[in-house]
Amino acid sequence: MADDREILRELWDGKIPVSFQLAQEEIYTVEQPDPFFLLVPRLTYFPLVTDKVYRHMVKHVDPDHGEMWLEFDNQPLKWHYPIGVLYDLYGYQSELPWTLTVHFKNFPEDELLHCPSKEAVESHFMSVVKEADALKHRGQAINNMQKKDHKALWTGLMNDKFDQFWSVNKKLMENSGEDAFKSVPFRIYQMDQIPVQKLFKPVDDNGENLTLKNLLSIALPDLEEKGILSRYRVVTQGIEPPLDVPVGWMSEHLSYPDNFLHICLVSRGHSES
Amino acid sequence: MATDTNWKRDLLNQIQRRNRKQSYPFIHLIQTNNKLQEIASSLHLKNVQLQVEIERLKEESISSHVRGDGVVSIATTHQLEQKLFKLQEELTEMHKKRGENAQQIIDLNALLQEKEKEIQHKDTMISSMVETNVTLKQSKKALEFSIAELEATNQMLKDEHQALQMAFTALEERYRKTQEDNSDLIQRWMEQKAKDADRMNAENADFIKARQQRLAKDLEEAAKEQVPVDLDKGPVDGYIPAVCVMASVPSRAQCVFDAHEGEVYSVQWNAMGSFFASGGADRKIKLWEYHNGVCESRGTLVGSNAGITSLDYSQDDSMLLGASNDFASRIWTVVDQRLRHTLTGHSGKVLSAKFLTEGKVVSGSHDRTLKIWDLVSKSCVKTIFAGSSCNDLVTLYGASIISGHFDKRIRFWDTRGPADSSINEILLQGRLTSLALASDKNQLLCCTRDDCLKIIDLRMNQVSCTLTADGFKVGCDWSRAVFSPDREYAAAGSGDGHLFVWNVSKAKVEKILKEHSHAVVACSWNPSGVSLVSCEKGKKVVLWSDF
Repeated sequence: MADDREILRELWDGKIPVSFQLAQEEIYTVEQPDPFFLLVPRLTYFPLVTDKVYRHMVKHVDPDHGEMWLEFDNQPLKWHYPIGVLYDLYGYQSELPWTLTVHFKNFPEDELLHCPSKEAVESHFMSVVKEADALKHRGQAINNMQKKDHKALWTGLMNDKFDQFWSVNKKLMENSGEDAFKSVPFRIYQMDQIPVQKLFKPVDDNGENLTLKNLLSIALPDLEEKGILSRYRVVTQGIEPPLDVPVGWMSEHLSYPDNFLHICLVSRGHSES
Repeated sequence: MATDTNWKRDLLNQIQRRNRKQSYPFIHLIQTNNKLQEIASSLHLKNVQLQVEIERLKEESISSHVRGDGVVSIATTHQLEQKLFKLQEELTEMHKKRGENAQQIIDLNALLQEKEKEIQHKDTMISSMVETNVTLKQSKKALEFSIAELEATNQMLKDEHQALQMAFTALEERYRKTQEDNSDLIQRWMEQKAKDADRMNAENADFIKARQQRLAKDLEEAAKEQVPVDLDKGPVDGYIPAVCVMASVPSRAQCVFDAHEGEVYSVQWNAMGSFFASGGADRKIKLWEYHNGVCESRGTLVGSNAGITSLDYSQDDSMLLGASNDFASRIWTVVDQRLRHTLTGHSGKVLSAKFLTEGKVVSGSHDRTLKIWDLVSKSCVKTIFAGSSCNDLVTLYGASIISGHFDKRIRFWDTRGPADSSINEILLQGRLTSLALASDKNQLLCCTRDDCLKIIDLRMNQVSCTLTADGFKVGCDWSRAVFSPDREYAAAGSGDGHLFVWNVSKAKVEKILKEHSHAVVACSWNPSGVSLVSCEKGKKVVLWSDF
């Protein structure tokens, strides 16, 4: 168990160095703005950490600007995915620090959601947590909590407080006896595709634990049939777990704070090019 | 368990490697960068402030250079400067105070002006109030005046009313007295009348007795005398009813002609048997004479506003009575062919009208009443509520009425008795369409919608004979059937255009006459018994005889 706790702690401490640069065509002042560097936690969301970036960049753009949004390699970044997922999906092969372009104009309405405030992020986060618990415990765990527990989850994530967050989250991660997971909340991302989400029981009819390999064959039968699964790296939380890891354990320990396993399939060919 | 820990260790290692690779090298770098950035921006800010300070100081030094002339002992200068400074301070304070005072004055002035304005406003308000007050008082006075006036008028009216009331009571008293007188007079008059009537009756009785005696005497004389009968001499002028010895059954159509524009509803021979009248939907009654094998029109009686439903000659042939669909019955005199009476009062079609006596007429209507009319006073003297639409009626002995109704009943009425209750009723199987009395007034021929003719013996008060025939269909609600004058035969028209003649004593069809192309509505036997007239729903009238 000591190992498990250490894994959780190490995952929580995972950070990514990011370099924010203002898009060249949107610079409004004579002076070139310096790039802004930040070390952002993998588990959090961009709108929670980009206040300083906004203050730094807004001096250099047209005062009549729109909402700020981020882009990497011509790919607008969705703020409602955890930062770690975005990095694993788009920037896994790229050099560090991760260089993102900041935009204030031409908001890609058909690709991104607007993010009016941090409350929007909170409500999105809480709804995903509820969805995950509905899959795991038919929503009983989250419904038995009080309002202040919900608040503790959110403030723990927002203020980077590991102990505060896990004191509540461990109730959601209860996976024994009657509270065993009914199914595992997971999403599998691929570049330029809609995320895959299916019902998946962590244990088969014989009581055997099912592994990551089983999960991939059920969630992505196409890849399995064509035998091209080996062309992809299976990445979550910035690591490539072995395919024989039980999915139940993964859900308990490798889930993001929103209680979902976010698994990215990154093409190996992409890395070679 | 060993593998368990193995992959767990592997994962932990991977994560640690990840952290070592991705975050640890950058922590210090980024922290330093952020710190440097902050320092740079704060330095930039400070730099700008210092620049401004320098500019200010430069300006100050220039101005001090300009003023600094002559060399005064520094102490004095210093003292003077201090004094100047104090004075200047005082001066500024004074200025400040003055400014404040001036401000106060301005404020007060403004206040004053405002108050004055208010006062002015109040003044105008007061003056307007006073004005309104005056006008209100004036109007009040005027109103009071008018009230007084009205009161005076009211008093006057009250007085007048009282006077009138008194006059009214007096008049009423007089009226009551007059009425009493009146009733008294009427009573006396009635008594007088009764006496007159009694006297008249006595006189009449005497007169009749005298006449009978004379008649008896004449008869005796006549029996004694031999009077040669002049057979060549036809009917003399005056009223001689036709006499029938034996009716002959007509065998062929002697004369067929278009009598009216539309349907012919009714035909009727006169009592002499010289003329017959026909009435139709064209609102006319036409008089005809049969002469040398043709029927010649002898006149047209007009005046009705709707179709003629029934015709009846008075006993002496002087008047013709026609009932009409325009709710009225009319009487024409035959000689001058003029309309004499119009009897209105029914609220439905009049389906049959007959002379009761020479001076009285009875009519039966679709409005379910019978009305008896007096031709002298030209008014309805009695209304009998029969309870059902009356299709035909006949009169008997000048006082009795027999009416045939839609509700399959024949009702007997006595006009002398109290109204509204029939003396007798006979229920038949079909709706009555016509009634006809035999010449001996003992038998009544009824035509009903169940396609048979019934002969009722009035003495026995029951059906004595039923006449039917194959193909005999009663064409409409006012189909008329007749007896021959000698009661041997009965004739009725059928809906298919045939005229049926029955032998009454054998209760068998004697003859079927075919000439009409439409339903035969009515027929009439010549009182002399030699010919028969029938009319149909077309325009035609046919005269039948056997020679």
